[in-house]
Amino acid sequence: MSTPLDWKGYEPVLIPKISGLHQIDIYEKNGGYESLREVLLNKTKWPDAVSVVNEVKEANIRGRGGAGFNAGLKWSFMPPVDGGPRYLACNGDESEPGTFKDRKIFEYNPHLFIEGALIAAYAMSISTVYVYIRGEYRSFIQMMEKAVSDAYAKGYIGKNILGSGFSTEMVVHSGAGAYICGEETSLLESLEGKRGYPRVKPPFPAQRGLWGRPTTINNIETLANVPLVIKNGASWFKTIGAETHPGPVLYGISGHVNRPGVYELPSGMPILTLIQDVAGGMRNGKRIKAVIPGGSSTPVLRGDALEGVNMDADSLRQAGSMMGTAGMVIMDEDTDMVEVLWRISKFYHHESCGQCTPCREGTGWLEKILDKIMHGDGETRDLDLLLDVTTQMEGRTICALADAAAWPVRYTISRFREEFEARCRKSVYALA
Amino acid sequence: MAEIIIDGITYEFEGQHKLLQFILDQGKEVPFFCYHPSMSAPANCRQCMVKVGQYVKDRETGAYQLDDQGNREVRWFPKLQTSCTLDMTDGMVVHTQETDTLVQRAQKDTLEFILINHPLDCPICDQAGECPLQIQTYKYGPEGSRFEVKKVHKPKRIELGPRVILDAERCINCTRCVRFTDEISKTNQLTITRRGDKNYPITAPGEVFDDPYSMNTVDICPVGALTAADFRFKARVWEMNQTPGLDITNGKGVNVDLWTRDNLVLRITPRFNPDVNDHWMADQGRDVYRLYNENRVSRPSIRLEDTKGSMDDGVAQVKTSWTNALDTLAEVLHENKASTILTIGSPYASVEENYALQKFSSLKGLPSPFFTPHILEGSGDGFLLTDDQAPNTEGCRLLGLEEIDTEEYKKRIKGASVVLMLNDDPIGRDILKASDFKKPFVVVFATNHTDTAKAADLLIPTTCAAEHTASYVNVEGRIQRTFPAKETRYTNRRLDLEMSEGRLDRYGTTFDNWVTEENRIDCKPTWVSLSELSQRLGIPFSFEHARELVAELSSQHPAFEGISFEKMDEERGILLRRAELTT
Ligand SMILES: Cc1cc2nc3c(=O)[nH]c(=O)nc-3n(C[C@H](O)[C@H](O)[C@H](O)COP(=O)(O)O)c2cc1C
Ligand code: SF4
Ligand code: SF4
Ligand code: FES
Repeated sequence: MSTPLDWKGYEPVLIPKISGLHQIDIYEKNGGYESLREVLLNKTKWPDAVSVVNEVKEANIRGRGGAGFNAGLKWSFMPPVDGGPRYLACNGDESEPGTFKDRKIFEYNPHLFIEGALIAAYAMSISTVYVYIRGEYRSFIQMMEKAVSDAYAKGYIGKNILGSGFSTEMVVHSGAGAYICGEETSLLESLEGKRGYPRVKPPFPAQRGLWGRPTTINNIETLANVPLVIKNGASWFKTIGAETHPGPVLYGISGHVNRPGVYELPSGMPILTLIQDVAGGMRNGKRIKAVIPGGSSTPVLRGDALEGVNMDADSLRQAGSMMGTAGMVIMDEDTDMVEVLWRISKFYHHESCGQCTPCREGTGWLEKILDKIMHGDGETRDLDLLLDVTTQMEGRTICALADAAAWPVRYTISRFREEFEARCRKSVYALA
Repeated sequence: MAEIIIDGITYEFEGQHKLLQFILDQGKEVPFFCYHPSMSAPANCRQCMVKVGQYVKDRETGAYQLDDQGNREVRWFPKLQTSCTLDMTDGMVVHTQETDTLVQRAQKDTLEFILINHPLDCPICDQAGECPLQIQTYKYGPEGSRFEVKKVHKPKRIELGPRVILDAERCINCTRCVRFTDEISKTNQLTITRRGDKNYPITAPGEVFDDPYSMNTVDICPVGALTAADFRFKARVWEMNQTPGLDITNGKGVNVDLWTRDNLVLRITPRFNPDVNDHWMADQGRDVYRLYNENRVSRPSIRLEDTKGSMDDGVAQVKTSWTNALDTLAEVLHENKASTILTIGSPYASVEENYALQKFSSLKGLPSPFFTPHILEGSGDGFLLTDDQAPNTEGCRLLGLEEIDTEEYKKRIKGASVVLMLNDDPIGRDILKASDFKKPFVVVFATNHTDTAKAADLLIPTTCAAEHTASYVNVEGRIQRTFPAKETRYTNRRLDLEMSEGRLDRYGTTFDNWVTEENRIDCKPTWVSLSELSQRLGIPFSFEHARELVAELSSQHPAFEGISFEKMDEERGILLRRAELTT
């Protein structure tokens, strides 16, 4: 967890400053698709698919979709080849509020991701790759479709890729506006043309995924790191950023900062450095009140507790939050935390798929109580009720959306309780 | 053998089991809503949660690891588990709500969640009294409510189809109805629409839920969200008696329950029989409750001489006494030459009725009875509907009744002087015309005023499948029996122990009036009428109860060897082999 002192000298590798990189010939001129070629054709360095899995596992690319699971390790869970179809589903649903980093890849370096997905397909003997992109990203979907067809035309996708004998297809699929379809099993249902209801696990997708066949789901950014690992080696990757959470990270910084945007930097960046130096400091020189570090579901951190907190899984866990998607929401001293929490709860209420009881009913109840408090009709006992409801939701549902809805409520209230109490009348009677 | 410890009790098991079903099979309880033993488990209600752990074993020796007190060490799963989807493993330790406050808490919490948006409808809801949500709330739910904000409102009284109505506010989104159309009836007519707490099941726009099995969704809906268009608001469940019976609308022999009040059958629901119909029945079998109540032949009727062979809605038939009817019949049989008297069995009548007729004609020296089956090619669906339209075709065959086609049937009627016919409707079935009855004297043992009954010369009212104990053999050769669900004019509840208990019988309150004198039909079992006739003819034929006929069949008829009502009850019907008949 050493602070990377040289972050100012860091050269971006996921979205390098090369103009026109989204075009396939410019990508090729800059060494693009070399990793794929290596993996497919250099049999001395990459004797088989397992050698690729092992290298990626060794690099410890922790999933950038939120859960932070080692990508290579996930790949190794795929069962042995049995002749039937196997799938890779690339998760570009990117719907968690505060998260807007995969779009940068679609826009500026789509072929890096495509190359990564193809290497993953080879490593897991997969013959079909689905790229699932949120429906609202209409223009990026079109860009991705163009990039994929260009890669087909150049022989990087399709039958007998680069004469290696390996074949795989790639399909770009548009979502239809549901956050829940970013949850991996719900995404599979959606791909199958069904309602986006998350599946009960086990069986896990590696055993029974898309159309009942072995499937791996990875985030777009996760896969974009793969060609870099192949090119430069796992040992290079591990020198970048935080030791236990290495590699480049796309930090999506939004909120009350002077220069919001997506910044590629090593993992483990101090939050304060990101705010003050990278994002140009707080707007109008205001004080930081709160930071949501990794998308709206990750527990909010108090502005006065950011000293020494870095953007990696370990440091954030110690600070009482999570890395999530590194979609950081920075809020200044004028922010109304009650309203923030109400808005987040409204989102999860709106997006709950409605399948399981605690989430279907709990998300709505949370929003309604917060609405009441926001409008000055709340009582202090309502705060305890809110905390009770979160306890009743957490860990009791099919997917993690219920947790994602409960955590912000639990932590925003516990970390900003005085602000909530100030908005409530004192309770005289206890609830039933 | 593998072991599992549930609430401190050790159970042995073999093979694959889901925990919830195993617990239920042991006669223990864990509350649940979405699980249904015949469908996939979506684990969406989250009501069946239990605490699960595993005994820790030493890797090398395989011995259980012990804690300081010498008890086996348990490694608990970090989260509560839904028992409906959990595969049992050797050494699993389970705590249900009986022994664990955490589990109690979780189940109560889930009920609280379900109830916050559930309407407080129980006083006017059809499901009350047989509602899993109501029952579980009483047993495991919270007291009072902490919900002080506005409930979600959803559409009510949606006609999903001709037979099923949805109240979306009552729906708890268990998806049982949707899974039924996906997995059982396979029409895929229902789906869930919208998200979150706005979820509810519906058809695709413009589609109608006319699935031939649609009403099963009403049965499996764990709340009052789905109601039967025909039954809703007619009766409270606790006002009705529930009597086991059979679906007589085709040859499948679907097991049903008849729900009666005041001697009227108000609804028919499927009764579980894994060998025949599992938990299901077709909608068509439910509609016959009307046949049991309406348009019934009550008290014998006799035709005025000059209207013979017409079918003028029975106006030419006049009611008469049993004495006069049977005296007349005895006289007719006496006056005509035995060889010109036809006795016709019926696939619509029970084994006992057909056997009684067979025996009667042999004692009286009449030609043996014949029958013609009622098969409509193409009406079967490989599930619960069969081409065979009658409930007892196979029974007629096993008894050895002569099976003839409709042409031959027509021919025989033409040459007859007297026709003695069990409950059947050859005119309604388009085999005969009313004018075919011009010449012979036609006697019908009828339950309802069918076209044939209307054209008859003498109508002997007979008990229907809801009024007598009798057996029927389905297309697979399975013999099953009915119980009397409603009283006739001659039923003595206290003597007929097969009558199901009414609330009066069970609780003895004088305020209960659901078993009354009302709506009793003046009819008798065919074998009783034939016995009374035999007495007049001096024939040794006397049966009071179907039991006596079954006993005789069991000991004297090879195809029915060893049968008894008790055996049928215990074994959910007895599979008879046709081969035994031919040997
Ligand atoms: C409610 C919910 C929404 C999610 N949305 C996304 C998403 O938009 N994009 C994404 O990559 N992962 C999302 N995830 C995480 C995925 O389930 C999955 O963990 C991830 O795609 C795996 O990829 P990774 O291992 O490369 O991170 C979501 C999870 C949940 C529970
Ligand atoms: S937790 Fe919420 S979003 Fe996830 S399956 Fe259950 S209802 Fe759907
Ligand atoms: S209508 Fe009934 S069966 Fe269908 S989902 Fe709702 S509660 Fe379940
Ligand atoms: S019965 Fe509904 S979750 Fe198990």
